[in-house]
Amino acid sequence: MSGSPLSRYEMVIGLEVHAQLRTESKLFSPAPALFGDEPNHNVEPVCLALPGVLPVLNRRAVECAILAGLATHCTVHTRSIFARKHYFYPDLPKGYQISQFEHPIATGGWLDIQLDVDGEAVTKRIGLTRIHMEEDAGKLIHDDAVAGSDATLVDLNRAGVPLVEIVSEPDIRSPAEAGAYLRMLRSILRYIDVSDADMEKGNFRCDANVSLRPIGREEFGTRTELKNLNSFRFVEAAILAEARRQAEILADGGEIQQATMAYDSATDRTRVLRLKEDAHDYRYFPDPDLIPLEIDAGEIEALRKGLPELADEKCNRFQSQYGLSENDAHQLSENRVLGEFFEAAVEKHGTARTVANWMLRDVLKALGELELELDDAKLTPEAFAELLELVDSGKTTAKSAQGLVSELVRNGGSPAALVSERGLEAVSDAGVLTTAVDEVLAEHPENVEKYRAGEAKVLNFLMGQVMRRTQGKADPNAVRDLLAERLKE
Amino acid sequence: MSSPLGTLAELRSALDAGTTSSQDLVAQALERADSHQNALNCFVGLRADAAREEALAADARRKRGEVRSLLDGVPIAIKDNMVQAGEPTTCGSRILAGFVSPYTSTAVQRLVDAGAVVIGRTNMDEFAMGSSTEHSAIGPCHNPWDPTRTAGGSSGGSATAVAAGIVPVALGSDTGGSIRQPASLCGVTGIKPTYGRVSRWGLVAFASSLDQIGVLARTAGDCASVLEIISGHDLRDSTSIPEPAPVYGDALGRSLEDVVIGLPRECFVEDGADAAVLAMVRAAVEELKRAGAKTREISLPHTPYGIATYYLIADAEASSNLARYDGVRYGRRAQGTFGLAGMYERTRSEGFGDEVKRRIVLGTYVLSAGYYDAYYRKAQQVRTLLRGDFEQAFAGCDVIATPTAPEVAFRLGEKTADPLSMYLSDVYTVSANLVGIPGLSVPCGFHAGMPVGLQLLGPAMGEAAPLRVATAYQRLTSHHEERAPEIV
Repeated sequence: MSGSPLSRYEMVIGLEVHAQLRTESKLFSPAPALFGDEPNHNVEPVCLALPGVLPVLNRRAVECAILAGLATHCTVHTRSIFARKHYFYPDLPKGYQISQFEHPIATGGWLDIQLDVDGEAVTKRIGLTRIHMEEDAGKLIHDDAVAGSDATLVDLNRAGVPLVEIVSEPDIRSPAEAGAYLRMLRSILRYIDVSDADMEKGNFRCDANVSLRPIGREEFGTRTELKNLNSFRFVEAAILAEARRQAEILADGGEIQQATMAYDSATDRTRVLRLKEDAHDYRYFPDPDLIPLEIDAGEIEALRKGLPELADEKCNRFQSQYGLSENDAHQLSENRVLGEFFEAAVEKHGTARTVANWMLRDVLKALGELELELDDAKLTPEAFAELLELVDSGKTTAKSAQGLVSELVRNGGSPAALVSERGLEAVSDAGVLTTAVDEVLAEHPENVEKYRAGEAKVLNFLMGQVMRRTQGKADPNAVRDLLAERLKE
Repeated sequence: MSSPLGTLAELRSALDAGTTSSQDLVAQALERADSHQNALNCFVGLRADAAREEALAADARRKRGEVRSLLDGVPIAIKDNMVQAGEPTTCGSRILAGFVSPYTSTAVQRLVDAGAVVIGRTNMDEFAMGSSTEHSAIGPCHNPWDPTRTAGGSSGGSATAVAAGIVPVALGSDTGGSIRQPASLCGVTGIKPTYGRVSRWGLVAFASSLDQIGVLARTAGDCASVLEIISGHDLRDSTSIPEPAPVYGDALGRSLEDVVIGLPRECFVEDGADAAVLAMVRAAVEELKRAGAKTREISLPHTPYGIATYYLIADAEASSNLARYDGVRYGRRAQGTFGLAGMYERTRSEGFGDEVKRRIVLGTYVLSAGYYDAYYRKAQQVRTLLRGDFEQAFAGCDVIATPTAPEVAFRLGEKTADPLSMYLSDVYTVSANLVGIPGLSVPCGFHAGMPVGLQLLGPAMGEAAPLRVATAYQRLTSHHEERAPEIV
């Protein structure tokens, strides 16, 4: 027997994602769904659960939920029911959350994730059990500096903001699959523009149900639920930590107790929040203040027709239409803006391969360094295509052009103007190049010998030396020709 | 000593004729409210200064020829469970002590827009849970016909205020009979319209699927006039019926020639009701027949399950609706340091009365895992069957007549120790709430010196039918003109 106890088990993982819908007002009240304002600024009588208030459903939120259902291949139901979920907590003004229980808006969908299995790209389909709509709770402020010692303050700005809860089937088998699922789900929600789906900002939150079963066994083990995983990294780390904990118990002949768990990133361990017997009885029942949500089948079809091409379709198309590798196509299609930028640049430039390489290497690198989203970048697809053309035509070198990407991303502008402003035109002047080549050959006689003895790859080293001497501005083709000529002598 | 105010129609004529002013009427109402408070305890609070100012404004409008409606300048009262901006609302509960609403309920806003002058908020069973207005934080309301007896409930304060001639009109709310039963016990006319007819925005919820605002007045005609003003679609209430406010007008004056009155077999058996009450209701039906109406016996086979069904649904919804009174954001919070769970427990233990606690416990139980199907779901199924009963019945009649309450006003304290017998006070009224149909109660005589009420039910959206029959009945009879003795 080798390795940790975990190696004997298979993980069975289901994820519940809460995504905040992008609407102007809250799910059941006209208060703005805005963040960052002063506490309790975006509230009105409904959010405060004042006596006598009634909920009125936000139709835009319904539209977002329908789109989320359609984009994940769910059946969107023409009739669904809002139910009350009861528990007492100061961030829940009514003493119940309006959610959907027996009759959610959408059920039975799936999405495909890409996995790397021994270096090979493999597609795996993850089932979606259901999508339901619900309202968010407010938040408590325990901060001594704000609330004073042992006081807790309530901020209800977030109370009532619309969410969809998206529940997966227990089809996920590893932390990496969980990560891939979440990234795909986020991509879809962003593609259809219904959620910012930003985990760091708390508008894309994940709970994970985790159980183990001995490899080869059909039936599921007892599961635990990991709550409030607030980054992609934590989701994967927490699932692994919980699986390890369960494996140790099972390996010792113990039993897993059904429980709600929390993950502590400092210790990389999970701990029990509450056991099943302490679980809430939420006393769900249909909310009598709201009539059943009836959606016209025609409206669903109209929204389906308006759906944009989604990441997985786009990924397939990029491979067939542009001849991209699966990996490149996947990277370029995961984000809608990136995909659209790519296609616009290809249209202008003509060579998809080149555009893809430059985007995946230089543009993504520049965005990462500048901590920008492509949305916020000043670089246009047209300018980007122009920059690549300057390289293709030898007007500037790849190295010079690479150096300009960051500048264009940050400030925009004309690549041609920048090249001339900064004196980055490729040097092809025979006199300048000959001098540089001769100097390099004189400095490295041993390499000249090696080349002449048949070591062809030495040419690259010498090329690099010439480029260095010319600050990267030498036209590489001219240098190569010149070097070859001189070395023949 | 102020004399009792007349009916809305009478006050209207006097205002139009210039023989009185809104300021006079409001002063008279306020004085009478004040002088009767000790004996009747029918107001939770008066808004004397605001009411006088509004009366002044109403008189000024009248002078300019800008009368807003037939309610303009008329003093009215509202039940203490409808919020009005800047005013306290307690629902007869300690837990809402100190709560002042920042917004106004739709029904009250429509009255205010029509120029009506709200003089105060009337006493009620805490959160409208009760049939006697004894479960109130400020103590019981007394029946003006005999102050040792109850006014009925939960809108006992509104019924009393009208019966004692303090206001011509008051708003009430009816979840299982809370307008009709006190109207019956106090000898006034009260209507609960179709569910969804009057917006519930700003009506403090007891049982959301059953609650409906309605009107108590001295005549069916006055009820109709006010109902026209407060009815109509409201976007802030998702259960509001998307129809404009009805105009009853001429329909009320029509004869009873083509009217068929259904008499449910199940409601005329003498096992739950006082024989004298049943006899009086039968006599009222005979009177209607003499005026041209036809009668036919009908059956509502599931009505015997009405009370059980009602208390399951009402209490389940109440347990949920009252969860918000937690001491966190408004109202009364228990003083001291006991941690979060302790704060909830103490606040709710101290803030709610026994009847409300009983309902919260019952309602919580019926919604609990493992019991939901046996109780709540089953009750909803019975509700569907009841709806079928009434649909079938109304296929063969225009209105259904029953007693409003099984007996005349009982003595204060008589039923408080026996909640079940109190619950049975609603035996004839709860079905209308479960089914969502309109119902009204008109005075139809006296037994042992106490008023008896005839209940008339109409089909959904069909308030006009019972209003028409009641109006005809009040043309033929004078029970509604009887005045409670002056006790002050």
